Amino acid sequence: MAVEDVDGIYAHFGGSSAHLIKLHQCAHLASPPPFSIRIPSPSSMAGFLYALRRIYLSLYNWTVFIGWFQVLYFAVKALREGGPTTVYDAVEKPLQLAQTAAVLEILHGIVGLVRSPVSATLPQIGSRLFLVWGILWSIPETRTHVLVSSLVISWSITEIIRYSFFGMKEALGFAPSWLLWLRYSTFLLLYPTGITSEVGLIYVALPFIKASEKYCIRMPNKWNFTFDYFYASIIALAIYVPGMFLVLLIIQVNKDCLPNCFNHISSGSPHMYGYMLGQRKKALSKSKTA
Amino acid sequence: MKVTLVSRSGREVIKGGIELADGATVSDLQEAIHGRIKKYYPSRQRLTLPLQAGSQGKPIVLVPKSKLADYCNGNANNLTVVFKDLGIQVSYSTLFFWEYLGPLIIYPICYYFPVYKYFGYEGERVVYPVQTYALYYWCFHYFKRITETFFIHRFSHATSPLSNVFRNCAYYWTFGTYIAYHVNHPLYTPVGDLQMKIGFTFGLICQISNLYCHLILRNLRSPSGNGGYQIPGGFLFNIVTCANYTTEIYQWLGFNIATQTIAGYVFLIVASLIMTNWAFAKHWRLKKLFDGKEGRPRYPRRWVILPPFI
Repeated sequence: MAVEDVDGIYAHFGGSSAHLIKLHQCAHLASPPPFSIRIPSPSSMAGFLYALRRIYLSLYNWTVFIGWFQVLYFAVKALREGGPTTVYDAVEKPLQLAQTAAVLEILHGIVGLVRSPVSATLPQIGSRLFLVWGILWSIPETRTHVLVSSLVISWSITEIIRYSFFGMKEALGFAPSWLLWLRYSTFLLLYPTGITSEVGLIYVALPFIKASEKYCIRMPNKWNFTFDYFYASIIALAIYVPGMFLVLLIIQVNKDCLPNCFNHISSGSPHMYGYMLGQRKKALSKSKTA
Repeated sequence: MKVTLVSRSGREVIKGGIELADGATVSDLQEAIHGRIKKYYPSRQRLTLPLQAGSQGKPIVLVPKSKLADYCNGNANNLTVVFKDLGIQVSYSTLFFWEYLGPLIIYPICYYFPVYKYFGYEGERVVYPVQTYALYYWCFHYFKRITETFFIHRFSHATSPLSNVFRNCAYYWTFGTYIAYHVNHPLYTPVGDLQMKIGFTFGLICQISNLYCHLILRNLRSPSGNGGYQIPGGFLFNIVTCANYTTEIYQWLGFNIATQTIAGYVFLIVASLIMTNWAFAKHWRLKKLFDGKEGRPRYPRRWVILPPFI
């Protein structure tokens, strides 16, 4: 197909090109029109770097996609064979790898490889890492809880859709409209289930955190510093819901990255949810009117 | 002349527009809008000229004292103005008062009252001299800030959105509690006597310098609240643009040298980052304004905020 014709492409897939170009441009810095599959000639430095970035981001997105696909696969397999209590042991390694790899995305934002606001991705990835390492890995008593299954499945489906979407955009220059539809529709169910699982697991972990006294620094010490993991977790729990609202606010400030940035949200709050519903309406109605 | 008032999405805010005399000022327009829609008092209105389609950059804001005719490009009888509701506004004095009141009250509570009992620390508490001096230093600092708010500062904007009250109070009150908890803790470990003296003395000198900087800044602005910009000069302003922030940061450094808590240093770092952000904005604004062209003075070469670093 004529990949040079931007409007043509999106008309073909029934999408509003203006909206989707903005979407796509969000993922790139100032660069030549990104819709060509041909790699620009290496003689131009900018073209070379641009191609390099695209290759790197394609590799990154597809690699992490495979990681999350494994998580989903092993999770479903374990559920069928051993039941909810065996899910964690089955998914531990790919889950830790795939989720920790997301730290690179913060780097991408800082370096400018991708145009998402670090202020939005940081709390998101922070909360994910808190769950994966701070709760599930640190407090083994939580691993057999049924919420682990819902957590892992909610996350993996969301991430599979997200990484394949970006993987396609980087590798092929576009993503099919059905994938766009999935991105904007699956969150309706997965956000509530995801955040319920996250909050639930932190809550379940609390008594064990208190008893184990893990990660605690007590006074007296030379720097008059204290840290109590139990109280820190309670505070984390308390700011979870309004915290997501705050992230929403930050995204509003970085308005032109809105459609892109909500990708980084995996948990939600009533406000976030409402906002996302609005975004969904906008995105899908545009594809209908084309 | 007729003024058409639209929102940023193009919808007419006041149907049929507003009729005003040809020599009317923006301030008259604001009063007229307030007259038609009660809740939009003037400080809540943000009035701009419509941005030309496709052009980048910030829209031109209508200045209250200017005449409306100044903003009409050719058509002297019709003007389209874009309206934005800034939300409920509070005066800066109100904002500052509430954000500083928290630390001023919370810190002495941790010092005087047996709050640590509720955290499991029973029994008598030994109070070191440094903790007492820290209390005086801290309370003097926030008392000074409140006094400056009411008697010294001249604000460029009269008001600030109400949401800032919650945001700023959260910042000051949370950090205030965080630091107060650690400095007044029953298991607090004091530093050596010399270090304490150096810290508090240095901090006090910086606080007094900070007060002097505020006095200089006050005299840059006329009492009629014009809010214009001038090149600051005199005292530390000769070498650094935001000498007031400089002295504020070093003042907290003095406090931390004397009290030595991670909590205090975290606050120092966060506050410094915030102030550095402001300082850069101010520095570039002044450099841009005073570019040496058309008879304007040229902004001299100066540190931005923290000599000898930046």
